[in-house]
Amino acid sequence: MGLFTSTTTTPAPSTPTPPTRTQRAKCWEARDAFFRCLDTAGIVDAIKDSTAAKTSCSGEMAAFEKECVASWVEYFKKRRVMEHNREQMLKGLQKEGAKKME
Amino acid sequence: MNASTTLRQLLRSKPRSTTPCWTVRQPQRAFHGSPARFKFQTVEQARSRYRSGPFSWKAGLLFVAAGIGLAVYFQTEKERLARNRITEMSKGVGKPKVGGPLTGLVDQHGKSRNEDEFLGKYRLVYFGFTHCPDICPEELDKMADMIDLVKKDHGKVMVPIFVTCDPARDTPEVMKEYLDEFHPDLIGLTGTYDQIKQLCKAYRVYFSTPPNLKSGQDYLVDHSIYFYLMDPEGDFVEALGRQHTPEQAAAVIGQHIKDWKKDLRKD
Repeated sequence: MGLFTSTTTTPAPSTPTPPTRTQRAKCWEARDAFFRCLDTAGIVDAIKDSTAAKTSCSGEMAAFEKECVASWVEYFKKRRVMEHNREQMLKGLQKEGAKKME
Repeated sequence: MNASTTLRQLLRSKPRSTTPCWTVRQPQRAFHGSPARFKFQTVEQARSRYRSGPFSWKAGLLFVAAGIGLAVYFQTEKERLARNRITEMSKGVGKPKVGGPLTGLVDQHGKSRNEDEFLGKYRLVYFGFTHCPDICPEELDKMADMIDLVKKDHGKVMVPIFVTCDPARDTPEVMKEYLDEFHPDLIGLTGTYDQIKQLCKAYRVYFSTPPNLKSGQDYLVDHSIYFYLMDPEGDFVEALGRQHTPEQAAAVIGQHIKDWKKDLRKD
C-alpha cells in the first residue's frame, strides 16, 4: 500500500501520526498570536490578502505555519473568515432589530 | 324541638297558606313538623358556623400541602413523559433506525470487538478523526468530563466509544496514542474504509474524505459532530451536541439511565 513511503507533495507533515496535546496547544497559541496580529493590521482573509498578511505579520505567520500542519493552517484561516462573516451578519441583523432566539 | 325554630318554620310557610280555603291538613303540618333538620341549637350558632365555613387552619394546611405535592408530582411526571417520548420517538415505529452493530471493528489495542460485548450497558458514541484541528479534541475533552460525571453518579453503566472517520490514517496504534491523552475508558474503533462507511451510514453520520488522496498526504475529514447515546439494547436514545456542557450532557444521560427499567450491567 505504501503507507509509509515519503511523498514530495507535502514535505512537512509526512508522518501520519496526529499532533499530540502539547503540539495542539502550541499550534493554537501560534494561531491566536497570528490572528491577533491580523486584527491589528485589519486583515480578515489571510488567504486572499496573503501578501498583506506576509508583510504585516511575517514573524507570526512563520511561527503559525511551523507549529501547525498545512491542512490546519488552511482550515484556521478559512474558519477565521467564516466567523468574521457570521459576526458581521449577526451585527447587521441586530441593527435591523432582530432578536436572538434561545 | 325549639320554640324559635318552630316559629321560623311557621313564618316561612305562612305566605303559602294565605289561601281563602282553610283546609284541614294545612295547619296540622305547621304544628306537627318533622324533627328538626338542624344540628344547631340556636340561629346564632348556625350563623357563626356558617360564617367560618368548613375551613380551619388544619384544612388550610392540608390544602396547601396537597397542592404542592400535586404540583411537584405533575412536574416530575411531565419531565419523565417528555424523556419517554424522546426515547420512543427515536425507537420509532416504521421510522429509520439510527445506529448499527459495532461487530468486526478493531479497538486501539488491535483487538477485534463484538456487538454483544457492549449490550447491557449504555453507549456514548462519537465519530471523529485524530488529525482533527480543534473541534474533536474539544469534544473529546468534554466527553472525558461526561464519562467521569456519569461514572460518579451511576457506576460503570456506560461505555464511551470513539469511532474514526479516517481509517486510512487512524490505525490502532495511532488511535491508542491519541486516546490515551483523553480518557482511559475510551474505546477507539477503526476498520476498513467500507466498514466505517457502513457504520457512519447506519448512524446517519456524514463524513467526507477528500478524493484522490496520496498516501502520506495531509488532509482533513469533514464530519458530523454529535454524541450518540445508545441504550443497553443498542437502540438510539438521544443525540447530544455542541450546545450541551459536560454537566448538562451528563444530567441528560443520567435521567435516561434512571428511566431504564430493564437489566443494566455495572461490571
